Amino acid sequence: MQSAPFNYRRLIIWLGRIVIAAVFIFAGLAKLIRWDMHPRPPIGIATSLFALQIDSYQMLRPWAVLQLARWLPWAEIGVGLLLLIGWRLHIWSSLVTLIIGGFFVAVVRAYTLHLDINCGCFAKPEPLTGMTVLRDGSLFLLAVLMTVFAFQEARKPHPWSAPAPAQPS
Amino acid sequence: MNRRLILVSVAILALASLGTLLVVGAPANQKSTANAASRPAKSANSSPAAQATITVDGVKDIDPDKAFGNKNAAVVMETFTDFQCPACKQLYTTTVQRVTDNYVDTNKVYIVHRDFPLPMHAYSRIAASYSRAAAHIGKCDVVEQALFQNQEKWEMNGDVKGTVAAALSAADMKKVQALVDSGALEPLIDRDKQIGQAIPVNQTPTTIIHTRDGQSYPVVGYVSYDVLKTLLDQLVK
Repeated sequence: MQSAPFNYRRLIIWLGRIVIAAVFIFAGLAKLIRWDMHPRPPIGIATSLFALQIDSYQMLRPWAVLQLARWLPWAEIGVGLLLLIGWRLHIWSSLVTLIIGGFFVAVVRAYTLHLDINCGCFAKPEPLTGMTVLRDGSLFLLAVLMTVFAFQEARKPHPWSAPAPAQPS
Repeated sequence: MNRRLILVSVAILALASLGTLLVVGAPANQKSTANAASRPAKSANSSPAAQATITVDGVKDIDPDKAFGNKNAAVVMETFTDFQCPACKQLYTTTVQRVTDNYVDTNKVYIVHRDFPLPMHAYSRIAASYSRAAAHIGKCDVVEQALFQNQEKWEMNGDVKGTVAAALSAADMKKVQALVDSGALEPLIDRDKQIGQAIPVNQTPTTIIHTRDGQSYPVVGYVSYDVLKTLLDQLVK
C-alpha cells in the first residue's frame, strides 16, 4: 500500500476535518453536558438553557428556537464524527458549511445590531464580540475551502484504489 | 477496506464514550463560580434602609419592596435591569409581565427586581431612584410600567420625574419625591449593583434563576416568554 500523494488541497481538507470536527464535537458536548456548571444540570435543562441563548439572537420564533436547541447539539456531534470518518466527505462538508454559514450570519447580525448577548457557541457565558465574528468567519472560510476541495477530490479516483487493469492493445 | 473499518470502529468507540459520559457523568457537588459569586458577603453599609433586606433560598440582600411572590416558591428569579435599556423594556413589558401572571401570582416563582443602572445611560440611575422610592410606598409595579412604557420619551428629555408623576396620585408623588430627595434608598440601589458586579453581570438585562437545590442559571439578554417557560416548567415541577 502506498500513501496518497500530498498536496495543498489535501492539507486544507485534513486541516478542515480535524479543526472543524473538534470544534463541532466540543461545542455539541458542551451544550449537552454543561461542564461549566456545578452541579451539572440534566440534559433537559441544559437544552432549555441553550434555547434561551438562541432566543437572545431574536431571529427565530419560539417553536423554532426550541426545536433547534433540541437537535443542534446532537447534529454538531454527529456531523463532527462524520467529518472525522471522512465517508462521503463532500456531502458532510457541504452540510457543515451551511451550518457554520448560518452561525456566521447570526453572529454578524447580532454584532451589527449591537445586541448585548452571549454567543452561546460553546454554551458557557461568552460575550459576543468582534473576536467571535472573526473566529466564526475563519471557520466559515475553512469550511468553504474544505468543501470545494472535497468536491474536487471526489471527482478523482481514490489514490488507494486499485489501478484499472491495462487493456490489451 | 481496513482503513474504513478502523475509522468506523473509532466512531463507534467515540459514540460509546459519549453515551457513557452523558449517562454516568455524575453531577459534581461543588457550587458554580457564578453561584458562589451571586452570594457576596453582606456589605458594611449600616443605613436603616440597607438593613431592611431579606434572604430567600440563599439569595441575599433582597429588598422586599422590589420582590414579589411566595418566598417558599421552588424558583427565585432575579432580574438585573436598567430602565433606559431597550432590551430591558422588551423583557419587562412582555416576558416579566407574563411570568408574573403565570408563575409569580401562582406561587411558583419568587421574582426579585434588581436595579443595575449602567453608567452609559444618563437617566437610568435617577429612574432607578424613583422606582425604588415608589416601591417603598407600594407602587413598584405602576412606576416600573410607566418608566418602561415611556422610555423613549423620558430618555430624550430626561423628564423622569414627570413620567413618574403622571403615573401616581399627587399625594403618592409627594411621598416618592421626599424619599428620592432624602437619598435614603440609594444604598439599596448600590447594593443591587454590587451584587450584580460580583456575579458578574456584564450587560442588561441579565436574569439569574435560582433553584432550591442551590443551582443558579444565568440568562443574558432578552428572552421570550415561551422559551423561558420551558425552563421554568422543568424547574418548578
